[in-house]
Amino acid sequence: MSRRTAFSAQTLAVLAALTARPSDWRHGYDLARETGLKSGTLYPILVRLADREIVQACWEEGEPAGRPRRHLYRLTTDGLAAAAAALAVAPAPAARAARSGRVARPGRAAAPRRLAREGS
Amino acid sequence: MERLTWMLAGLLCTAARLLPPGSREWTEAVRAEAGQVPAGWPRLGWLAGGLWLAVREAKMMRMVVYWLGVGMVAATAAWAVRLSWHASPHAHPLVVTDRVRVLVGVAALAGLPWAGRRRGWFGPVGTSITARLVRVGGCAALCGLGMAVVRMDRDIGGGPHGAAPFSLPREIAAGVVLGAALAALAVIRAIRPQTEASALWVLTGMAGVVAFALVPLQALVIVYVAGILAATSRRSPVANASLAAGAMTGLAAGLAAALAVYELNTPDDRYVDLILLAILAITFLLATLAGAAASWLRSGSGDPTDLREARLRQGLLAGSVAGAVCGLVITNFVAVAVFMMIIGPLLGAAGGALGGTVAADHPRSPRAARSWAAGLFVRS
Repeated sequence: MSRRTAFSAQTLAVLAALTARPSDWRHGYDLARETGLKSGTLYPILVRLADREIVQACWEEGEPAGRPRRHLYRLTTDGLAAAAAALAVAPAPAARAARSGRVARPGRAAAPRRLAREGS
Repeated sequence: MERLTWMLAGLLCTAARLLPPGSREWTEAVRAEAGQVPAGWPRLGWLAGGLWLAVREAKMMRMVVYWLGVGMVAATAAWAVRLSWHASPHAHPLVVTDRVRVLVGVAALAGLPWAGRRRGWFGPVGTSITARLVRVGGCAALCGLGMAVVRMDRDIGGGPHGAAPFSLPREIAAGVVLGAALAALAVIRAIRPQTEASALWVLTGMAGVVAFALVPLQALVIVYVAGILAATSRRSPVANASLAAGAMTGLAAGLAAALAVYELNTPDDRYVDLILLAILAITFLLATLAGAAASWLRSGSGDPTDLREARLRQGLLAGSVAGAVCGLVITNFVAVAVFMMIIGPLLGAAGGALGGTVAADHPRSPRAARSWAAGLFVRS
């Protein structure tokens, strides 16, 4: 049985948000607002993407006034290519949802399973 | 609400300190952004998500379960030593031997976490929740059994008597033979690493026979501990589905058999034959069911002959697991049913082979898709 690996709908939403402005450094709350994901879903995805060197992360430089330094994220060069490829092959409804930041019931397994069925 | 948010932020700060440096920055990132999130429920939810991240990244649940297991083993050992030292007769060789056996048992228990974590046949534990539950549950059942035996010994005022009447010279001689066999194994492996594995297995088998003749119950417990660790390790040939099917049906069989014993037991032992028949029938039937389920659940593609063999093998293994679990459970309830710890796995293997053969030609259709890795990927 051949096996296929693809990104989940939630990951696609994060990738779509990062791809929209690839040169900009984005912070977690910004991504959470754009994708509609909760921190408990968003950050594990960012951790795994950073582990796979799709996303690079760094701390904000300097000491901003009135708030702590932020952790910032953007796609690596390889990550940008991988994200573009993933979004191109993603099934249309999932890709549309990812690009518009509307991920149905984030954190549930239903969305990835539905995506897999549509893709197979 | 503010107080709750403040408490959660403090908790997240503490959790971040427990994480390795590579993971710590991620929880600190969540904390740094919390000030941007609107106060109230949104901020509380944001911090709760960070706490969940810390739990995931530190694999805290695993650590908590592991240390609970270690604590349970330590408490059991301490209790066993306490009971053994408070046995009524003193200065009797039998009592002294009993204490020595308890101490040896405690030393073996202390080595359990070490053996379970070492890479090899017995560890580390498989990644599935089933493997972890079976490992923890099996070790807990064995600890319970050990405590029951020590309590029983104390009540009857003596130690575990073994297969024959107590004899101090026999005990010492058997202990020396066992120690010599184990030392010989270690020496041979150190001096001649190229020695054939079969020779070492023969020596191990001989040591096992001596151990079984000397301390049958302890030897049985050691075999069970080894079996539980091996069946739940990452290298285990027992598939996850087979382990689950075997453990669940074995648990059901053990409880049903214990219930049958309690219901049919009379002071004059009128129904002892019926009880025995019920225990054996329940074990066989449920092991057959486990074997059939394991065989049915083993899906895959490739050579049909190989696949059929794999299904039969999983059926046999699931049946053995069911029989062993049934034997362990019923012995915990009815100590005289200890014979089921030997007969159970054999009977279960027979039942599992039968069930596996019946179901081998009717496999389940493969699942379409599975999600994995924290929702990051889907796989089909």
